[in-house]
Parts: sequence; C-alpha cells; structure tokens
Amino acid sequence: ARRGGAGAAAEPLGRTAEEVAWAEALRGACEPEHHWRHRREFLLRNVGAPPAAGSAELQRLVSLSMVWANHVFLGCRYPPQVMEKALEMADGIQVTGAPVRTTRDELKWSPHQT
Amino acid sequence: MGVPAFFRWLSRKYPSIIVNCVEEKAKECNGVKVPIDTSKPNPNEVEFDNLYLDMNGIIHPCTHPEDKRLLYMAIDGVAPRAKMNQQRSRRFRASKEGMEAAEEKQKIRQEILAKGGILPPEEVKERFDSNCITPGTEFMDNLAKCLRYYIADRLNSDPGWKNLTVILSDASAPGEGEHKIMDYIRRQRGLPREKQGKHDQFADSLPMAEQEFIFIRLCVLREYLERELTMASLPFTFDFERSVDDWVFMCFFVGNDFLPHLPSLEIREGAIDRLVNIYKNVVHKTGGYLTESGFVNLQRVQMIMLAVGEVEDSIFKKRKDDDDNFKRRQKEKRKRMKRDQPSFIPGGQFSPQALGNRSSPQAISNPRQAAFEMRMHDRQNSTTSSSPNTSLTSDGSPSLTGGIKRKAEDSDSEPEPEDNIRLWETGWKQRYYKNKFDVDASDEKFRRKVVQSYGCASWNWYYPFHYAPFASDFEGIADMPSDFEKGSKPFKPLEQLMGVFPAASGNFLPPTWRKLMTDPESSIIDFYPEDFAIDLNGKKYAWQGVALLPFVDERRLRAALEEVYPDLTPEESRRNSLGGDVLFVGKHHPLCDFIVEQYKTKNTEPVDIPPELCYGIQGKLTLNENAVLPDQTVESPVPMLRDLAQNSAVSISFKDPQFDEDFVFKAIVLPGAKKPAPVLKPGDWEKNNNDGRPWRPQLGFNRDRKPVHLDQSAFRTLSHTMPRERGMPGMYANAVPLGTYGNPYARPLLSGQQQIPKLLSSKLVLLSFTLHCVSSLHRTAGAAPLLAWNRMLQSQNQYQPSQYQGLGGPMSYPQRPEDRMDRGRQSPPLL
Repeated sequence: ARRGGAGAAAEPLGRTAEEVAWAEALRGACEPEHHWRHRREFLLRNVGAPPAAGSAELQRLVSLSMVWANHVFLGCRYPPQVMEKALEMADGIQVTGAPVRTTRDELKWSPHQT
Repeated sequence: MGVPAFFRWLSRKYPSIIVNCVEEKAKECNGVKVPIDTSKPNPNEVEFDNLYLDMNGIIHPCTHPEDKRLLYMAIDGVAPRAKMNQQRSRRFRASKEGMEAAEEKQKIRQEILAKGGILPPEEVKERFDSNCITPGTEFMDNLAKCLRYYIADRLNSDPGWKNLTVILSDASAPGEGEHKIMDYIRRQRGLPREKQGKHDQFADSLPMAEQEFIFIRLCVLREYLERELTMASLPFTFDFERSVDDWVFMCFFVGNDFLPHLPSLEIREGAIDRLVNIYKNVVHKTGGYLTESGFVNLQRVQMIMLAVGEVEDSIFKKRKDDDDNFKRRQKEKRKRMKRDQPSFIPGGQFSPQALGNRSSPQAISNPRQAAFEMRMHDRQNSTTSSSPNTSLTSDGSPSLTGGIKRKAEDSDSEPEPEDNIRLWETGWKQRYYKNKFDVDASDEKFRRKVVQSYGCASWNWYYPFHYAPFASDFEGIADMPSDFEKGSKPFKPLEQLMGVFPAASGNFLPPTWRKLMTDPESSIIDFYPEDFAIDLNGKKYAWQGVALLPFVDERRLRAALEEVYPDLTPEESRRNSLGGDVLFVGKHHPLCDFIVEQYKTKNTEPVDIPPELCYGIQGKLTLNENAVLPDQTVESPVPMLRDLAQNSAVSISFKDPQFDEDFVFKAIVLPGAKKPAPVLKPGDWEKNNNDGRPWRPQLGFNRDRKPVHLDQSAFRTLSHTMPRERGMPGMYANAVPLGTYGNPYARPLLSGQQQIPKLLSSKLVLLSFTLHCVSSLHRTAGAAPLLAWNRMLQSQNQYQPSQYQGLGGPMSYPQRPEDRMDRGRQSPPLL
C-alpha cells in the first residue's frame, strides 16, 4: 500500500526509519544526491513490505528503478514494454532540473551529421 | 594504449625513432608463388632475438636467422573492468551503426528498384557483426584454433622457425595483448639469472596504410628522453631510469583506455611538454620522483596536478582563441575558393614572367623579406574588407574585438555545435560539473569522490563517471589509499560478453544468457538500453561524443548469471574458462624431447622448464588437453586448408614464473645489460670533431649500412640525359638512345660509331657523375650543350637548329641556365 507523500524529492514523509534505512542500502556508491533522492522515491513508492535481500522481487524492483533513473538522468531509452512499466511505476514523481539529452537516434537526423 | 594523436605527437617531436620497415614481399613467378626464405638475414640489417607480437596489428612472418629465440604472440583477452566500459561504449555504437547501414542499404535498394534500375540479387547472408571480435565468442575460439594450426604448420615446414620457441597467449588468457607481453617480460626479468647480457633490442612495429610497417626504435626514444629529462643541480642523485618511468606515467594523464582524460590536457596542445616542464620543477622542490617500480607518490602527483590547475584557465582561453582563428582561416579559404581566383597575385620581384622570353629573370633579392611584406599587405586588405569588427594590432595582424558575435555573412558557414560548457568563460567549473555530473560545483564531497575514483586499480576497479575531473580538483589525493586490490579476479569471457555487448549482439551468447538482455522481466534489463544519449561535448560528430551508457553493476550481473550458469554446455564452459599461454616448439628444438617425455609419462604435475634447454626462459609446463603432438594429425580449422598429416611439432601449456603478491618488480636496468650504440647526433659534435667531418645520420638499424647506390643500368640512363662538358662525354654519349623518348626520327645508322667503352668500376663512375653535377652548377649561360650523339646527328642531317635543340625527350625546351642548375640539383651527389 502506498503511503501519501509529496511528489517532489523531499524527505520521504510517512516512511518508517526502517524502510528508509532499507532503501539507503540500495544507493549507488557514486550516485549524485538528487539522482538518489528521486530513485529512492521510486523504490519506496513501489514496495509494501521491503522485499527480502537477494529475492527476485527485489532484483526486479531495483532494475526498474535503474531503468527509470537512466531514462530521466542519462537519457536512455528501453524497449517499449519496459519503458511502459517503469513510467507507470514512477507515476506522480516530479523531477525538476533534469538534464536535457539528445539520444543517438535523434542525433542522426540533426544537421550536424554529414 | 590506443590513444589517438599520441603517435603523431611522438613521431613529430622525436623523428629519428621511426625507421621504415623493409619487407621482403613474396614473389610470384609464372603464376607460382615463391615462398620467402625466412632463414636469410633480416633485410632491415638487424636481428631480433625476441619478437613480441601484439596482434592488434597483423600476423607477420618473422625474419630471423639461425639464432632466433622467441616469438611471443598475444591476442587481447578479457580486459580489466576499467577498459570494459570503453569496449562497451564502442560495441553499443558499432551495433547501432551496423543496423543503420543495413537499413540504409535496403532503402537505397528500394529506391533504385523503384526507378527501374537493375541490381544484383540480394544475398541473404548474415551481416558480419564486428562485435564478434571479443574474447569468449565462437569466432575468437576459431581464431585460436587457426593460430595453433598456423604455428604448427610453420614449425613443421619453415626452416626459419627451426629453433624458435613460440608462445601463444590467445583470447582465453585475460589481459590486453600489450599488457600480457609486458607482464611476460617483467616476470622473466624478475628472476635471478646466471647469464646476463641478453641483447633485447626493443622496437615496436606499427602497420601503416597499405600494409607497410614501420619500426619505432625505443632505444632512440630513450636517447631523446635522456636529453630532455636530464636535470642538473638536484638535491639528490639524478637517475634517468626513474625519470623515464615518470614520463611514462605522465603520458597516461593525457589519454589512456581506462579513464577519460582531463579536459585541460590535450596532446595536440602540447600537454605532455607542459607536464614535463612542471615535472622538472616539482622534482626539484620535492626531492623525489613520482613513481617507484610501479607505485605512485600521490603527494607529488598532486603538486603537478595543482600546478596544471593553476593554468587551466589560460589553457581553455587559448584553446578557444586557436579554435576561432582556425575557423576564421577556414572561412576565408572557402571564400577564396568561391571567388575562383588567387587571393593575391605576386607582384614586384615575384611577378610571373611569360615563358619564351630571351631575357632571363633576375635572382630575387631578399626573398623572404619581400614575401613576408606581400603577405602582410594582402592579409590586411582582405580581412579589413570582410569584417568591420576587426582591428589591427601593431604588427598588422588582425584581432577580434572581444565578444562581438560574427554575423553569418557567408551562407555556407556551418552552424556551431552547441557547447554548453564554454570552458573559456568564467564559471566553467560550475557549468562542467552541473552539465556532466549533474551536481553543483560546490558539492565538495562529490568532487572529492570523483577524484578519488580516478586513481587506484584492480581487475574490478573502474572509473564510474563519463567525464574526468579538473586538474585543479586534485586536492587531498595524497591521503587516499593507493593499494592495488589484491586477489581481485577478472571477469570470465562469457561474463565479459554480458558486460560489453548490447542486446543486438546477444546471438553470441548462450540462449538463456541472451534472454537476460531482452526479456522485459529480466533483473538486469537496465544494462541494455535500446538507445542512449550522446554528449557531443563541443564536438561535431556523434562518434566523437561521449556515449552516456549506464555502468554495469558487477554484483548484480553475477547475481543474475548465477541462475543461468547451469545451462552452459560443456563447449560453452570451455569457452568461458580463463586459459593461459601455450608454448610450441618444433622437433629440432632442444626442449622438444623434454616436452614429449612429459606427455609419454602422463605427468599431471606442473614442471619447471630446464633453463638450459630454452635460452634461459623460465616458467612451468603442464599438459595441454588440445595439444599438438608429434605424429598426430593437426586438424585444419577451415575448409580451405588441409590437415597437417605429418606433424612433428609439440605444444604444452605454459605458465609465467609466479611471484608473491607483495613482490615488487624493480624498474631498473638489469646488470650486464648492453645499451645499443647511440644514434642521435651528440650535442657537442662540432666541438669535438675539429677535422670538420660532417655528422652522418644513421638511417635504419645499422650505422655501417651500405649507402644508397645505383647499379649500371641506372648510370646508363643518367648518362644519356645528363649534360656533359665538351670533351668529357658520358660512356654512352655516342650511342643514340632508343625510341623511348618519342623520337620522331628513326634511329640513323651511324658509321664509325665508337665502341661502347668498357664499364668502369661503380666507384669511379660515381665520382665522375658527382663531378658533373658539381660542374653543371657553375655553368654559365649559353647555348645548350649537345650530347655527342646529338651533335653527330645534326652534322649528319644538317637540319636547321631551332630554338628547340633536342629531338624530343627531356632536352626539347629552351635551355635556361636555371634549368640545368635545377636538374643538377635534382640529382644530388650520392655519398
């Protein structure tokens, strides 16, 4: 069940300390602060009880959180089914100041290419 | 290192290190290929005891005499994690490019067919995915088989390989080719030896265009570096070897395969020279070197980085200025091209003169000054007319008044690629960190983390960012732990494939592994985006930009693979194992019997190589499962080649000498090592050679190499065309040349034609030829001299001499003194 919480990357209202700690363990070593806060939001929004370590469920969740983060912050695009799922799970999260990227496919048709 | 521009910089700064490789090409006679005799001396006049081949280049037949020792061939194996990111980037891009090319081809085919064109039938063949050239694929497995076959074949049939020890380190052995070679050398050196004085002359050879090779003489590079790096009045004893190690280390900062290089250090801007200068200062102040036998003194590195940091600002500004100047000149050039006339016509002394005048132009006085003045004069004229924004500085060269944007007057100027960072404007650091890392530049903690990650190494280490920090950020690195993570292991080949391949190349992987790349339910689906961003980084083309791919999380990859590991077939498991090196010898080799004995007794324990049997090479031998064995047919891996039915070569697994984890391979010159004779001109040559002997440069590997000389046919050719003094005819001056010069006159019968004189020895001819060249330089203006045969013809045929003296060929234009002088100059005396 989802708890109510602000869409922006604010402190995770309504989460227990336990849940937050669980999430923190999933942070990437070199993940910038506000990338992490958004992804943490994604994770917390999509769990009931935190899945067991090493479980397939957890792996899947982490993977989809990365899909979403890579899409938003790095500009990656994934196969349609995957994108759909990730965006569905991210519904309601607002990200401000995300970098604007040009993907390779988009670049191909730009006048810069010869 | 695959650093672009490094080789260009190195060969321009130290030109004498390059020697063209003389390669004896295979000859064909009446359709039959004549094999090259590899037991003849090396045509480069140098014999290499040991040849180390990194097969990024090509398989090259070695040319050794009887005393050849070792051929070590290395193919890239699984790379350290750090390099994998670069490989990943390349393969993702290559995959996309391949698909686009196929689409494009299809599109064009349709277009042509629609217009009614005719095309050859479409071959439905599998597109060659160049990504298969990665360790772990079937392709690389087959390549290894081919190489084993090739080696066995050579050992059996080529006399040049008789006593050769061959070590093959194929793609199953981890590490890059050049690293494996260096590792082998290091380990052999690390052992105590009774016999020293081995002459290992190192030369790196590079393939150039059209399969021509060049040698890079590292000993000459050493000589250059010795001059450059020698420092006087140091508070400690100067040790050249240490400073060379430091030089190598610094070269890494301008580019390597593991890290994006620092934005302020570009080779083509002279970054290495800059570092060397800073280095010489730092060494002075700190009283020590940057590296010692592979360990880095971070404190001193930090000092160098911070010194670079201080000038980063001006580096970026200058870069921008150079860029602008370049673009400006390009624009002007394009304009000039459009006008279809030269930008200026030389005037004054340089005015062109019509041909055919009797009078000859005078020599130019003070040519350089005159040319300079003309250039300046015209440059001023053209630039002031094209842009109202320029102002002239004192020496007449235009400069831009700062900040005013040029109007797009020329319609063909290309749009500038967007550069959001603008390193030359203040605030560059903030923009860089915001744009590239998406953090605030004031986030000190993060910046430190970036810098910390920039150093340190192990098989598992990698730099987790797409961009490098700035030199000025290198604060506090001295406090970092700099231990190479011990006990770290490389990825296995198939694991590596999972780490570097996009989903489109998944066909190289076992089916259940492949599924992890494409199944929407896969737990690592985020590793395989379909499309990814390119950061042009101020560059123009996509391939120059940085590919923003997510980094592969090793732990998660291994966790996902755990489930599919049991699905591997035995064949796939074999391909997935980390192999080692294999040693091959032919039947004449002293080690051969020893090895055969091991197989006979089925000895499963590793056994040391008896050093006396193998020129001092040391290591351990273990029986190999797929060995090449005497009297056993070596199967051919490809249909075109036959099986080797009469094989007498043998192969066995080879392992380098092992050392403790803590062992330090000392970077010193081994005792008894002989340095090759110096090649470069000594700085004090003029002082020490009072007899005025000119310095004779050494071309190639042999100082006493026979100089260039002509043989008889060449002299005959020259004698026909060289003007001769009256009374000193060339040998064949009386013989009419054959009709090759388009002679409209038939060859007349000359009565009383003199006998062709006996051929003089080549030295005398050379001398006389030289004299002619010298004398022709002093010739005064006058009528064109006639060759003896020419004169005879004239007198015989009595035709009217016209302006054109000759009968065709090179003499048929008015002879001007300058022409003769030119010709004399074109054929310089050959000493």
